[in-house]
Amino acid sequence: MDQKIQLKHLYLRAGFGLSAKEWIDRKDWSIKKAVNELFAQAEKANPLALIARVDQGPKSDDPKERAKVRTAEKQLVKQISFDWLLRMAEPKESSLLEKMCLFWHGHFACRSRAGYLANNQLNTIRKHGLGNFRDFVKAIAKDAAMIRYLDNHRNKKNNPNENFARELMELFTIGIGHYSEEDVKEAARAFTGWNSNKQGVYELKKRQHDYGEKTFMNKTGNFNGNDIIDIILERKETAYFITKKIYRYFVNQEINESIVKELSEGFYSSDYNIKQLMRDIFESDWFYDIKNIGTKIKSPTEFTVGIFRQLNGVPTQSIALLRAQKALGQTLFYPPNVAGWREGKYWIDNSTLMLRLSLPTSIFNHSNLIFSVKPELEDMGKKRIRKFSAKIDILPVVEMTKGMNSEETHETLQTFLLQTQLAIPQKGIQSFVIEKEERGKYLLNYCIRLMSLPEYQMC
Amino acid sequence: MKRRNFLKSSVVASCTMMMPAFLKSGFGQSNLTSRSGKILVVVQLSGGNDGLNTVVPFENDIYYKNRPTLAIPKKEVLKLDNDLGLHPSLGSLRDLYNNGELSIINSVGYPNPNRSHFRSMDIWQTASSSDEFLSTGWLGRYLDSDCETCSVYQAIEVDDGLSLAMKGEHRNAFAMSNVNKIRKAADNKYLKKMTQLAEPEEHNVTYLYKTLADTQQSTDYLYEKSKAYRSKITYPKSSIGKDFKQIAELITTDSPTQIYYVSLGGFDTHSGQKKKQHNLLKEYSEAIEAFTKDLKANDLFEDVVIMTFSEFGRRVNQNASGGTDHGTANNVFLMGGKLKKAGFYNEAPDLINLSNQDLVYDIDFREIYATVLDKCLHANSSAILKGNFKGLNIL
Repeated sequence: MDQKIQLKHLYLRAGFGLSAKEWIDRKDWSIKKAVNELFAQAEKANPLALIARVDQGPKSDDPKERAKVRTAEKQLVKQISFDWLLRMAEPKESSLLEKMCLFWHGHFACRSRAGYLANNQLNTIRKHGLGNFRDFVKAIAKDAAMIRYLDNHRNKKNNPNENFARELMELFTIGIGHYSEEDVKEAARAFTGWNSNKQGVYELKKRQHDYGEKTFMNKTGNFNGNDIIDIILERKETAYFITKKIYRYFVNQEINESIVKELSEGFYSSDYNIKQLMRDIFESDWFYDIKNIGTKIKSPTEFTVGIFRQLNGVPTQSIALLRAQKALGQTLFYPPNVAGWREGKYWIDNSTLMLRLSLPTSIFNHSNLIFSVKPELEDMGKKRIRKFSAKIDILPVVEMTKGMNSEETHETLQTFLLQTQLAIPQKGIQSFVIEKEERGKYLLNYCIRLMSLPEYQMC
Repeated sequence: MKRRNFLKSSVVASCTMMMPAFLKSGFGQSNLTSRSGKILVVVQLSGGNDGLNTVVPFENDIYYKNRPTLAIPKKEVLKLDNDLGLHPSLGSLRDLYNNGELSIINSVGYPNPNRSHFRSMDIWQTASSSDEFLSTGWLGRYLDSDCETCSVYQAIEVDDGLSLAMKGEHRNAFAMSNVNKIRKAADNKYLKKMTQLAEPEEHNVTYLYKTLADTQQSTDYLYEKSKAYRSKITYPKSSIGKDFKQIAELITTDSPTQIYYVSLGGFDTHSGQKKKQHNLLKEYSEAIEAFTKDLKANDLFEDVVIMTFSEFGRRVNQNASGGTDHGTANNVFLMGGKLKKAGFYNEAPDLINLSNQDLVYDIDFREIYATVLDKCLHANSSAILKGNFKGLNIL
């Protein structure tokens, strides 16, 4: 297997692909060097600046005032989403950490409609995304956005709400079939009173907490939420459940049972060290096996972020990108439900595919898209996806193909942009670009043509 | 099969469109599948339409007491029977009612109602219980189970994107807000050429090229079809009016499409409800009027069932801003030229026995889905709805 393709595979799966400049600098790197650098960059990442809650104003009982606050909070969530997309596309940021965060955001799926809650949760995800899974689950159980999303603020001693306890086991840790309905009830009791204050900080409401004895997974004691999480994580099934999900996301939707087993053993004996697990994957030989390369359909986020990153593009306003994300089916902080986004073919229907195939032209030629997005349920009217405005820098691509004839240029651009075999003959594309044009323009058009193909949807 | 072999062996004469080489099975064949059963048109009123001001209990004091400024005055109500009548904007529905072409089902909902728009809409669209999360829609599952040989546009959502209701595990409906618009997007010389040239091997790439080819060909087909007939009825210029015109033209030209899905949004009337709901229901009613007139003129109304729903109704009492807040049970309309039982299916909602100040549901919404699936689409509703719902004796 060609080392360049392996290297691209690493950067596509552990991040969002490489910009032309990064590619020029790294294409001769060894896998080992690249993996080390990815993890080193992740170590250096900083927490996001805190975002304050929108001022409620003096008339916080007035429905109109409350609606204004809600709109302002929703606006902040959009800003946070946009900033996050920009970080994913920015080579100076840790693409590994951002990718882990995107994965965990889909795992601990949660809708947030307030900026400070979304931002706090994203910070929790950043802090633990490559850390210890045990600490991570405990932090999520105390995260205000999650508490509200899964009704734990309604989970009280005299009237337990099982929503969080159930999803904790079914989706976040051990998976269905490894616990009983009685376990759900007892776990819910242990999380009673786990609430948050108005600032979005965890608070134990002692009067609502059930301090009594519980029997959970055949153990008896005066358990609280942390004890429940510890008991769940004592079970090897939990390590397996998480490892399998990570494998399906980062390696292949079709799992290799013996590899996943071995990985999960390692994950368990490292006491749920996520960084170690990811290293085990990226440093393995099987990760670079041909059947794992170029076979994953990019998520909308991987797709749009990849387009910008590869051509050094920076969107200069948020609205077009966010609406495109929505039309493509992945609005950050707004997963379809607590099970998160469904990956792979589920991203594709006639409408999302046509939008994907027209997006590169529209981004880089500033042409109009004719797609609209559905309004949110509380709003009126369809919203058109606006014209994109983006700064791009084609010079690194010019440099990458300096002195090359059209054959070599084609090969180079294809290797740079595509991770699966081109299903059409080279001259098919060439008849749609004018080589006599100014070099930068020609190359940009060539890139757009390649990016407008089904093959570009793969990573 | 490689392209060259394919060209040698294929008999594409019957299909006017060029067939992409890599598609082994004939796309054109499935177009010929004719419809069985009736055409279903689903109308989604998004945001939670206020059911009590839609079907008004004009003899009920509790209604008037709870809504001092928002209740529809008795004299303005379009009276249907001794107790219930329609919002004054819904003139066309009164006509349908009088013709025995409208069935009104009161107090439709589900156990443990959820008052979040998103969650409740998910419940309606996936036909799940309120504590269950499904990732496929009820009509998507119909496509999965009953549509192996159907055309790509067996179900069309008149929108640029697909609702969850229309997504199955293996099959999706076709999203198309407007035939000219989608043609503009799909009629892309480059992509058409690439589809012709493609010889994909990797299975996901093949899947993508196939979806692309299906989209291009469906678009061409629907464009040609809809050119064949231009409705002679004047439709309102509203967005939903255009949507219905589009549907009528496809039905009239005998497109094999069996399901259409349209949405009208803006019903989340927490404040200033009177005017907002008036305008929205008027848009809805005018579109229904033109649509039914069009179908009748073409002798097609008997082949069509229109179902209208919203994700929840609203509270019995009005709030301080001249609006209403999220509620629970609501009414559902079924319309068509040949209903078994027209008029009111069940009694008016009970305004005395409330749960948390909200209406208690009388009929599970999945009973209506079962009716539509079994009687209109000739499907097996219990498999699709993952449970046994007997259905209502309306269709």
